[in-house]
Amino acid sequence: MLQNIKISPSPHISKHHSTQSVMLDVIIGLVPAIIASLVFFRMRAGIVLASCVISCVAFEAVCNLARKKPNSLGDLSAVVTGIILAFSLPPSIPFWVCIIGSGFAIIIGKMVFGGLGANIFNPAMAGRCFLTACFGTMMTVWTVPATIDSAMPQVGTVSEAPAAITQATPLGLIKDILKNKPAPQDEKIKAVNGIFKNMVIGSTSGCLGETSALALLIGGIYLLIKRTIDWIIPTAVLGVAFICAFIACEIDPHHYVLPWIHLASGGLLMGAFFIATDPVTAPLTKKGMWIFGAGVGALTMLIRLVGEYPEGVMFAVLLMNSISPLIDRFTKLTPTGGMVNA
Amino acid sequence: MNTPGKLTFKGGVHPPDYKDLSSQCAIEAVSVPKQLAVMLTQNIGAICKPVVNKKDHVTAGQVIGSNDAFVSAPIHSPVNGTVKDIALQSHPVLGRAEAILIESDDTNQQKWPRADQFNVTFDPAHFLPEHIFDSVRKAGIVGMGGAGFPTSVKIKANPQSPINTIIINGCECEPFITCDYRIMLEWTIQILTGVSLISRALNCGNVYIGIEDNKPDAIAVFEKAIHTMPCASGIKIVAVKTKYPQGGEKQLIKSITNKDVPAGGIPPMIGVLVTNVATAAAIAEAVVFDGPLTHRPVTVSGSGIKTPGNFYAPVGMAAGELIELAGGLTDDAEKIILGGPMMGFAVADLSIPITKTCGAITVLAAKDIVKRKETPCIRCGRCIEVCPMNLTPTTIAHAVKHNLLDTAQQYYMSACVECGCCSYICPADIELSGFIKTGKILVARQKKLMPK
Repeated sequence: MLQNIKISPSPHISKHHSTQSVMLDVIIGLVPAIIASLVFFRMRAGIVLASCVISCVAFEAVCNLARKKPNSLGDLSAVVTGIILAFSLPPSIPFWVCIIGSGFAIIIGKMVFGGLGANIFNPAMAGRCFLTACFGTMMTVWTVPATIDSAMPQVGTVSEAPAAITQATPLGLIKDILKNKPAPQDEKIKAVNGIFKNMVIGSTSGCLGETSALALLIGGIYLLIKRTIDWIIPTAVLGVAFICAFIACEIDPHHYVLPWIHLASGGLLMGAFFIATDPVTAPLTKKGMWIFGAGVGALTMLIRLVGEYPEGVMFAVLLMNSISPLIDRFTKLTPTGGMVNA
Repeated sequence: MNTPGKLTFKGGVHPPDYKDLSSQCAIEAVSVPKQLAVMLTQNIGAICKPVVNKKDHVTAGQVIGSNDAFVSAPIHSPVNGTVKDIALQSHPVLGRAEAILIESDDTNQQKWPRADQFNVTFDPAHFLPEHIFDSVRKAGIVGMGGAGFPTSVKIKANPQSPINTIIINGCECEPFITCDYRIMLEWTIQILTGVSLISRALNCGNVYIGIEDNKPDAIAVFEKAIHTMPCASGIKIVAVKTKYPQGGEKQLIKSITNKDVPAGGIPPMIGVLVTNVATAAAIAEAVVFDGPLTHRPVTVSGSGIKTPGNFYAPVGMAAGELIELAGGLTDDAEKIILGGPMMGFAVADLSIPITKTCGAITVLAAKDIVKRKETPCIRCGRCIEVCPMNLTPTTIAHAVKHNLLDTAQQYYMSACVECGCCSYICPADIELSGFIKTGKILVARQKKLMPK
């Protein structure tokens, strides 16, 4: 009668969820932005997304074979890396560059550290950083969205996409308007603020997943409601970025834009909800999350306001990733009630 | 004082409770089994030494093992019979431990709790604190919530650290278990008698009975009873939030008094005494009727049990016999657990006897056991979120896994109360609490506190 009986340490029941379901939630959270990218960049978005996701999964499979480790594709983390990498690339990027970026993200960003959970840097950001260094020009060519460019091929058409019309990203445009062009200050500010509405909806040029602030916000709120991500990191990132932008704007309103524009632009929302919240590379403790998020927000604004790059989320996340273990050490938890005989 | 659901602590989880399987089953008397194995190890502190010899005849209630150490509790024979042997026997925690095997010769004797012989006019003033202490000590009462700390030690008034708050634990937060719930409904007056005796022994009138708000009828029964029983009129019935491990003493103290017991410390350090409702009932029986602790209520439940129920079983009865009383195992039964599914011990030997601390036998069927492989930790932090002790389970478990015991201790491994919330919640299915328990054992071996 006892042949089926098994023993193991307690607890003997567990909650029905898994790493796979956590990753699936992240993918669901990314769906609104995926849809937005397909609406605005049509086939180009499809090509970039498909090549990133497929090659990330393929590289992970190859790494598992090479390391003689069991297949780990089921946890869906490679899919998430692929989508986030694609989201951080310009729509005009050729598919083979996507594959190179995916290779760096998965092999160097993740697998050489030991695979899921052991990597120090966010793999997608590592991949993007590599591409920025190697293919600088291609990484800064920005396609005008389909709502402006009627020549953009429709979703589902198989024809080769024609050379798209390009323009600078809103942040690049703004930097350009404010810094270089000789024009009356009032007109400059009007022009800059006019870009804001387009940024919220997403009908402006930029990286694939970063164009629509609204889509990112919907996905982010979904993750917060599902409690897949903690509210602390997004709050800290956005809060500190807002404060920095607000101070800059107060000091010199002719030189720096309204803080809302910074929040809605570029990768800030994307970074706050989907990249900085990557649990593997963020601190474990609540206090640590505040420090980490605040660091990402402050560094992003430092790079945007002072640095040469119009965009700063990628560097800010990677820099904070590098000190995340240190933050964990400094924010070590102490037991409830303090410790006797410690 | 009745504020449902509000009183709680930080952390914890909400596993499905499955209490309806056995919550309507009144406690049943159990006819005497042919053979019993009474463990010599049934309490924290000094282990009992046998005071009977092989072939001796023993009577129900006779002392068969004791120890003179202060932190100890004697054991008694639950039946009339003959000592067949004193030998090693399977034990859920220790692997094997010494037990006194008794063959009963009078299978008709049936012990039934004297719950109906207690009445509302009881006056604890008739009993002196020293008398209460002596009776409890002689009766061999230990904490019946699971820890097994000798109760006499707890209720001995100590002028150096006086007790200013008494909390009676009626939470029963483990899934499946309903025996405390049943005794709260069925033995209400007996429990209140025991509570008034504890209060008298410690000369402390600030008494709370904490009950999870998923047991509204138990709360109602007590609310009604304290108004009819003069000696219980000062007791406060408190509804606490239903959450696991609400029945942990440190968590219950936090919920009711908002005070923290230091990790590694015990409640008397902050002037609090916590005892379980079953222990209070045992105290009443010991003091009023000189009845030793030889029987206890046990829930036999789970998806692997045919007809779950609650039983008043003699200590030393084999788990298998109790399972037979509950209809036996279903065909898909896969795990036999002494205790509840969160903290209980899985066993593969049905001859393991129940002890004074064993309130439940839970049998899980294959469908209720999630079988998944451990996957890498993605540092999601859920284990930290649910840890009622505010520890970092993932870091400690990781350290133990790589044999870094110093690191594990720097992250306060010893403060873990082993509630299992971290393992329960972990999406990567890492046996976090299993690693932490292993780490504690390894440290104890290093310090030579435990044999290899």
